[in-house]
Amino acid sequence: MDGSVKVPGTPALELRSVRRAYGFGPSATVALDDVSLTVRPGSFVSLIGPSGCGKSTLLRLVAGLEQPDRGDVRVHGVTPAEACAAKMIGLVPQTPALLPWMSVLRNVTLPQKINRGAAKRRGRIAGFTERESAPAAPDMRELLVKAGLGEALHKLPAQLSGGMRQRVAIVRAFGLRPDMLVMDEPFSALDEFTRESLQDQLLDLWDELKTTVLFVTHSVSEAVRLSDTVVVMAPKPGRIVESIEVDLPRPRGERLFGEHRFHEYEDLIRDRLRRAWHSDAA
Amino acid sequence: MTVAEESTATASGAERPAEPSRFSLSHPKSRMAWIRPSVWLPLVVMLAIIAALWEYGARKLPYLLPSLPKIGSSLRTNLGYYVHNALVTLGEATAGLAMGFAAAFVLAVLTSELPLVRRAVMPIAVVLNVTPLVAIAPALVVAFGFGPMPKLIITGLICFFPILINTATGLRSVPRQVLQVYRTMDASRIELLWHLRIPHALPFLFAALRIVFPLSIIGAVVAEMSASGSTRGLGTAISVASSMNQLPVVYASIFVLALMGVLLLLAVTLVERRALHWHDSTQD
Repeated sequence: MDGSVKVPGTPALELRSVRRAYGFGPSATVALDDVSLTVRPGSFVSLIGPSGCGKSTLLRLVAGLEQPDRGDVRVHGVTPAEACAAKMIGLVPQTPALLPWMSVLRNVTLPQKINRGAAKRRGRIAGFTERESAPAAPDMRELLVKAGLGEALHKLPAQLSGGMRQRVAIVRAFGLRPDMLVMDEPFSALDEFTRESLQDQLLDLWDELKTTVLFVTHSVSEAVRLSDTVVVMAPKPGRIVESIEVDLPRPRGERLFGEHRFHEYEDLIRDRLRRAWHSDAA
Repeated sequence: MTVAEESTATASGAERPAEPSRFSLSHPKSRMAWIRPSVWLPLVVMLAIIAALWEYGARKLPYLLPSLPKIGSSLRTNLGYYVHNALVTLGEATAGLAMGFAAAFVLAVLTSELPLVRRAVMPIAVVLNVTPLVAIAPALVVAFGFGPMPKLIITGLICFFPILINTATGLRSVPRQVLQVYRTMDASRIELLWHLRIPHALPFLFAALRIVFPLSIIGAVVAEMSASGSTRGLGTAISVASSMNQLPVVYASIFVLALMGVLLLLAVTLVERRALHWHDSTQD
């Protein structure tokens, strides 16, 4: 099941035969069954699959919002709860989830006032010596300007377009300097153009801040465009079908999307998705 | 950086354009609107009709309805008397409201944080709410005398329930995804309360205040009328004047009470506009 490359040291994320079911007895829905996954630090991993395949559940397990019924989830060697306590996890939900009474700048700086003891805890987590133990709080203004929100620093979320709001949510998450950035279909509510420009900016920020990204998506081309690894999932019960390494050069510009090898990856993933769907129906 | 600039353009152009004008324009516009006759004329005509009917009634039934000029002259000649009593009633109303507010707010926070407290307190609060306060008032007067105490308690009680229910609802109104974002930062309950729950409860709280400010005056007047030995306040003024058949004084007091209610409501609305400028309800 585990298609990712073996790496020395602590993986950024490790799931070992994780099971999660909702409800009890025969009527229970098995959202995830025997799911194992290893993600190396700094990589961009997409989860793709039809609805009901458990990709959002997997993401909530990693973000510490739910507990697995069986199996083990480790983020940089510690439990998701410990990782949250050390503010190692940044979450970008489907909606921007901004606070409507705060300006853009205050929205992205609020996390600095939350859980102030986190930096100390982060330093204490084992296996952290390879990287800087307690990253300095980044200049949020600079980060906002970099995300094209320089004009909007003092605006309220209601005064922004949907794409800009989602960008603020991404900057807020990056502002934590998370070791694990968890994104739940963040672009699904946006139009095509906005979506593409946000994908570019996400890659720019990711490139600069070197964090591991776990990205849930419905879109095959989005997955290929962004990821190092695309994890294909199937429903009933939710499981991982295959991990596909996307061996394309970065930065991935406009030219690449017209190329043959880009489409080959798209076709490969579509094929795997279709097969998972049919084996399920049979 | 060109990518960023380009995307700003497409983002704000392709979707809903940002509206900086919304805030700067709406206020002068709504203020200027009063100049147009189409806005004020219907009200003025309606008032004129009511006044004419009133005068007609006062002419026909002089023992039931005092004429408007008589009410007006009572107001003018005894202005000090009305102002003094109005301030007494207003003081009782606002002090009682403040007490009820403090109690309700603290309880709302406790009930939304601790299910145990919710189960213990909510049923009692509901029973209190359905008990007619007019019925409690005499008992409180017996217990606490003719001083300000029973008035504050009754006003506090009448204001308590709407604030409790609305605030408790508001504290629980934080969208799930917002909570999830801050839970992954391991925000403490106090941090969630202070940074997320209380601000999210503010629109609910102001909705309660708009109900409760006029109610506080009702509470104070009911309390004054129940304590027949009171000497001050507009409620007392009304019951004394009606027992002596001084109808102009009764109606002048009623007018002052209504005016007070309107002014309180206006004050709340103004504060609300300031505090909730970001909220949909304040944007017309």
